Amino acid sequence: MSENKLLEIQNLQTYFFGKEGTVKAADDVSFYLNRGETLGIVGESGSGKSVTALSIMRLVQEPPGKIVGGKISYFPKDGTEIDLLALPEDEMRPYRGNNISMIFQEPMTSLNPVYTCGNQVIEAIILHQKVNKAEAAKLAKEMFGKVQLPDPERIYRSYPHQLSGGQKQRVMIAMAMACKPDILIADEPTTALDVTVQKAILELMEKMKAETDASIIFITHDLGVIAEIADRVLVMYKGKIVEQGTVKELFTNPQHPYTKGLLACRPPLKFRLRRLPVIQDFMNETGGELSLEKKATVKDAFMKLRIPEEETISRLKQLKSKTPLLRVEGLKTWFPSKKNFFGKTIEYTKAVDDVSFEVYPGETLGLVGESGCGKTTLGRSILRLNPVKEGRVFYDGIDVLNLPKEEMRGLRKRMQIIFQDPYSSLNPRMTIGNAILEPMEVHGLLSSSKARKDRVVELLETVSLQAAHYNRYPHEFSGGQRQRICIARALALKPEFIICDESVSALDVSIQAQVLNLLVDLREKLGLTYIFISHDLSVVKYMSDRMLVMNKGKIVESGPADTIYDHPKTAYTRQLINAIPKAGF
Amino acid sequence: MIQYIIRKLLYGLVVLFLVVVVIASIIYLAPVDPARLTFGQRSDTASLESKRQELGLDKPLYIQLGKYLKDLSPLAVIEDSPRSKEKYSYLKLIPIGDSYFVLKTPYLRESFQTGKSVGAILKASVPRTAILAFSAILLAIVIGIPLGVAAALRQNSMFDNTAVVTSVLGFSIPSYVSAMLLAVFFGYYLSAYTGLQVSGSVYGLDDLGDERYFWANLILPAIALGIRPVAIITQLTRSAMLDVLAQDYIRTAKAKGLKYRTIVFKHALRNAMNPVITAVSGWFAALLAGAFFVENVFQFNGLGQVTVNALLTYDIPVVLGSVLFTASVFILVNILVDLVYVVIDPRIRVE
Repeated sequence: MSENKLLEIQNLQTYFFGKEGTVKAADDVSFYLNRGETLGIVGESGSGKSVTALSIMRLVQEPPGKIVGGKISYFPKDGTEIDLLALPEDEMRPYRGNNISMIFQEPMTSLNPVYTCGNQVIEAIILHQKVNKAEAAKLAKEMFGKVQLPDPERIYRSYPHQLSGGQKQRVMIAMAMACKPDILIADEPTTALDVTVQKAILELMEKMKAETDASIIFITHDLGVIAEIADRVLVMYKGKIVEQGTVKELFTNPQHPYTKGLLACRPPLKFRLRRLPVIQDFMNETGGELSLEKKATVKDAFMKLRIPEEETISRLKQLKSKTPLLRVEGLKTWFPSKKNFFGKTIEYTKAVDDVSFEVYPGETLGLVGESGCGKTTLGRSILRLNPVKEGRVFYDGIDVLNLPKEEMRGLRKRMQIIFQDPYSSLNPRMTIGNAILEPMEVHGLLSSSKARKDRVVELLETVSLQAAHYNRYPHEFSGGQRQRICIARALALKPEFIICDESVSALDVSIQAQVLNLLVDLREKLGLTYIFISHDLSVVKYMSDRMLVMNKGKIVESGPADTIYDHPKTAYTRQLINAIPKAGF
Repeated sequence: MIQYIIRKLLYGLVVLFLVVVVIASIIYLAPVDPARLTFGQRSDTASLESKRQELGLDKPLYIQLGKYLKDLSPLAVIEDSPRSKEKYSYLKLIPIGDSYFVLKTPYLRESFQTGKSVGAILKASVPRTAILAFSAILLAIVIGIPLGVAAALRQNSMFDNTAVVTSVLGFSIPSYVSAMLLAVFFGYYLSAYTGLQVSGSVYGLDDLGDERYFWANLILPAIALGIRPVAIITQLTRSAMLDVLAQDYIRTAKAKGLKYRTIVFKHALRNAMNPVITAVSGWFAALLAGAFFVENVFQFNGLGQVTVNALLTYDIPVVLGSVLFTASVFILVNILVDLVYVVIDPRIRVE
């Protein structure tokens, strides 16, 4: 056994025993973690990466899950070897949060809402370090300082809902690092955060690792993030490790087609592509057995799909030659933030503050900015889903905001929106066929219900689903499939104009690529016009012809997407660009 | 916060005003003559007419209503007469001619039947009902919450299934049925062993004519009243706990290495309390309003029984008085519960 080893996992088998058979979530997984190392585990949802991490902590929900085999050895500093799987629960518990700690994907829901952040951090300190409350409080505040939270005293007394997502994740890191663990397991710690916040959190983790001499297991679906933080990488696919090596090896010479697919599916920044390569371009899956097409390389894939610069320029010119489809003039959406005794508003939050722009037919206009910059409110205001304080919106010459209600109903057919969260925007008790059918019925489209049903099937096929899916319920679908269903529902009314509000932000990068491709295909095929909203500048740049950068309710920069990326004029835009994770190989 | 409470209290006053108007109108419109009811069968027209005049029943509705509201209001213009002194205790503020603008106690008038002041009747019956309601709800909390937690922690076990089935049975039985069953079994057949009686109030006169508490008389009515709240609170606690135990922050607590007990009682239970508090407060207010049937079965002489008797004899002041009291209880309990929410869940900020 090497001196340097901190954790060794041998033949780990974690199975889930469900009604529909057994799922081998971790299927004979073996790997090791060295002292002072950051090990990345990459894979898409359901690849078994989180289950592997939870197995190390022995926190797999049982039932339905169970660790059925394998050995997990932990080598503390005193030179002993501890078989974590063999420990009784009572002896396992002191290791959790003390020797091995964990942070999770959802900072919003991972903290208990009814206790202060301070209370939740000292809990672990008092438990593991046998100190009194005053000392623990002092330690906790020190930790808050170390994770660069402003005003540790205030954070100590704050409740989770009073903090932003990034701040909550810092509290989680403080909690996890408070007892100076040997191993920190980070399960998608930045996936739910804006790219700018993600960058700050990654930097913080690097710093904390250096300070406390911990090793990190970093789990993500995004190879771009791995490149920023990890030393060594494991690639997991369907419960198995399909490739491992140093980050450099993996990025410069990927062996497994799945790894190639993951590398290729992130929107590239240096050039434009007709469509994004997807995993399926590198790997076929037939009857559970992988048949590999080893020939294709990432570079080949990019070269084949690249759009020459002249074409981009001529497309922009052609788009601009038409009259704008949508014109927004001096739009202001203010929300009441403070009211007096009689319910009269005395203070406003200016979510959208004097915004003007146009969208040309056939164009995709990108709208980028951090959480809370007002981009979502702007999208909703255009569709009259928010009360607007001032300003005008013209769609195809029609004054949208002053349109009578009955005429607005007609206009809604032409303007649609696709939301961020494919989980909560579908009614769980309605079959997806009926979900797509409903808007057609409401608007009285097509003459018979038979014709409408045929149209639903056609729509399902348009978004690469099958007619057989008609009678299934949303929970039977994956996140990417649900987003396709939402797209099909938006298309049901044959709109000309669609607002995509963070429509791919909740998806894995590999799934994101498929959905983005679908959106591009639909634009070409049906002649759609999009406003594409996201916090991730790389995705917006890939999708859009022109781009607006929004900050604090105002548009701070606008122009052709490539121009903004190559020559950003404001510090804010540069910050957004710098936050995009990139591999420097 | 204080603004919020003041606003809620003002809304409460509006509600009370509407309650008086609605109830008084219904009574006025009903084809029954309270004057006749006071005399019984043998009565002549003249004495009926004089009784009507005495009770003010010959006046139109709006005048009767106005007078009643004036009696009720804590601020009013009244004459400084012996009759006034009899009705209210008051503090003279500003003299207006012969009269005074005063701060006074509300006057709920006198019972048509007994001539006792309604205030005194409520004062005698409300404490009995309050003790009963409090005992029943305490029973529900002390049994229901632990039972619900235990069932949630052993989801789908024999224990859990039994708890669920029993609680469904529990709230399907009307309380007057369980009241009668309890009274007959434990107060009659098994009386020799339990030492309990079929009926009787918690407070009353003993054999020597002294007033005292009879605590044993509380047991059966409290159980009869408590069964349904116990069942519902068990169910609510169970489902809220199951919901909370699946939350991400419970996983965080586990990853911290906390003991199972700490996770359940510190992290899960407090989060599961919101729906339970809503149920407890709702039931408590409802029970305070008087458990008509159960009080009747046990001859408990509480508010419920007083109200029912008043309705049967068309004793308008008593009916109005007890309805007003009940409405006030609901309003106050609701404000109180809002405050409890704020304490228990920091996310709820009162605006």
